Amino acid sequence: MKKLSTTMKPKRLLALLAFAATFANAADKLVVFSQCNNAEPYRAAQNARMSERFAKIPGVRLEIMDAQQDNTRQIAQIETAIRRRPALLIVAPNESAPLTRVMGRALAAKIPVICLERDISQPLYTSYVRADNREIGRLAGEYIVELLKRKNGSPAGVVVEICGLKGVEAEINREGGAHDVWKNHPGIQVAAAPVADWLQSRAKDRMTEVLGALPKIDVVYAHNDPMAMGAWLAAKDKGREKEMLFVGVDGLSGPGGGIEKVNEGLLAATFIYPLCVDEAVAIAEKILSGDTANLPKTQTVPSRMVTKGTP
Amino acid sequence: MKLPPALARFREILGLALIFAAAVIFSPTGSGGENIFLQPDNLTDILRQQAEIGIIALAMTLVIISGGIDLSVGSLLAFVASLTALLLVKWQPALGPAAHITVALLAALASAFLLGFLNGAVIARLRLQPFIATLATMIGVRGLARWMCDNANIDFGFGGHVSARFADIFSDKLFVIGLWAAAAAFFYVLLEYTVFGRHVRAVGENERTAGYTGLPIRFTKVAVYSLCGLAAGVAGLIHAARSYQGNPNDGSAYELDAIAAVVIGGTALSGGKGSIPGTIIGALIMGVLTNILRLRLIDTNVEFMIKAVIIVAAVWLQSPRKAR
Repeated sequence: MKKLSTTMKPKRLLALLAFAATFANAADKLVVFSQCNNAEPYRAAQNARMSERFAKIPGVRLEIMDAQQDNTRQIAQIETAIRRRPALLIVAPNESAPLTRVMGRALAAKIPVICLERDISQPLYTSYVRADNREIGRLAGEYIVELLKRKNGSPAGVVVEICGLKGVEAEINREGGAHDVWKNHPGIQVAAAPVADWLQSRAKDRMTEVLGALPKIDVVYAHNDPMAMGAWLAAKDKGREKEMLFVGVDGLSGPGGGIEKVNEGLLAATFIYPLCVDEAVAIAEKILSGDTANLPKTQTVPSRMVTKGTP
Repeated sequence: MKLPPALARFREILGLALIFAAAVIFSPTGSGGENIFLQPDNLTDILRQQAEIGIIALAMTLVIISGGIDLSVGSLLAFVASLTALLLVKWQPALGPAAHITVALLAALASAFLLGFLNGAVIARLRLQPFIATLATMIGVRGLARWMCDNANIDFGFGGHVSARFADIFSDKLFVIGLWAAAAAFFYVLLEYTVFGRHVRAVGENERTAGYTGLPIRFTKVAVYSLCGLAAGVAGLIHAARSYQGNPNDGSAYELDAIAAVVIGGTALSGGKGSIPGTIIGALIMGVLTNILRLRLIDTNVEFMIKAVIIVAAVWLQSPRKAR
């Protein structure tokens, strides 16, 4: 008898949970947002804004899936999401080539797809909301030329770049845009460009090694703010944080964001990389209401620079 | 609970049945009231998604039964995926597409086999503990893969590119599931019906006794690690096709997923005892669990926590000392 009672309990619990699960918001339209990595502040801000905006749309339920910076996991999550037949799929792809086919499969299953912020290899989406990383790279490159002129009297000096995940559009263009500008200034020497996968902790480690190798650094251009802060922390450990200027990208508002770091004087500047969420939600509302006539295939959201004192 | 003798050998199947039943109950329903979990497309998704870990776990079963462990399989998978991508994308031989693909995948598999052989040789000849020898390989091969690719991922081309053709074949659902099934049959026969299989068990049960009876201990060890390298290589081909690139950073923690599938399947880490059907069931338990959690759109971190509980529960349920 004792055995019976222990086996009954989980069964009852299971039935109860199944009952609850079956009837929870069954009538709502499902929107799945496949986020490539929740563990970055920029993406946490995207998620928060996305949840906030969708909460105001009646009859729609948003679910966010976190791929934790893993292509394989994101592909599998999207495959499984397709089986749910959501009314809309929003994907912030971890990398371009790996996610292209599975997003194509969603389209083929007649699920509208919004590609958020990162591009894929072929235009297998309903709409693509993007920010212009090339332009951000150029703005950052020009600003660093100005910084070097101010510091050294001429556009020349030692620059360290801290790179995000290689092969990703953002990485290619934030780097490439700056180099578009610098190729006209032969005095600018990129002495090191370690890869830190967008992460502050990894940037701190890589920068510690670079500091050991380079006796003098003028500017650190990190391709996002957390990596700029990682580099700053590494320089601070060695008492060298006043020797160089730090430039980042993303410009998130709120505590811990890049704008706060600029106002605290830790970063010289950051370049706002728009969340793209408001624009994506506007497109989502059109899709969900069946108004699919004039959807933009690609929509670019502009950037701007933030230095200390910028409103 | 008494099981029929044929099933009693694989008590794990009860676990799979339980998880499967739970998945059916918890499954969301589609617009027509159909059970989404039970849709054939979804069930075959599970098989394909588990095929990489599943194939590695088969060979890992032999390694663990022989009293060893192989931590290098994740790095090997990344190495093979990267090498395949290099050979398909950056190398332009004067060969037709079919010959180009054949050469690339044979070269990739041969390297995987050789790296596995290296593991076995270091363990059998230099008498290093398997944990340490394969840990070194895991670190070294990861470095080799990244160095070879210059840290970057090598993306496959689209359209008529030879790499796209390779990806079409190796990401085909039936082909991938078929590969796993073929590998399972191979390892099952190898372990249960050959002299080599008996040697694997004997070495794992008691290496000294096996030595006294004159069994080829060194050969057995070198062979199981070579096979494990080869299996990781096959998984690497599937991985490259599926992720549409060679990524030298992929496959981290795959060794742990494979080991988890093996131990859930009732194979003892202490060696000597274990089975291929158990390992397949172990991989399927993890696959069904992952699938239902994702169908219910459960947070990925919660997914990890639930998996941890399942691993402990599954292994505890199979421990012989439990009093019923």
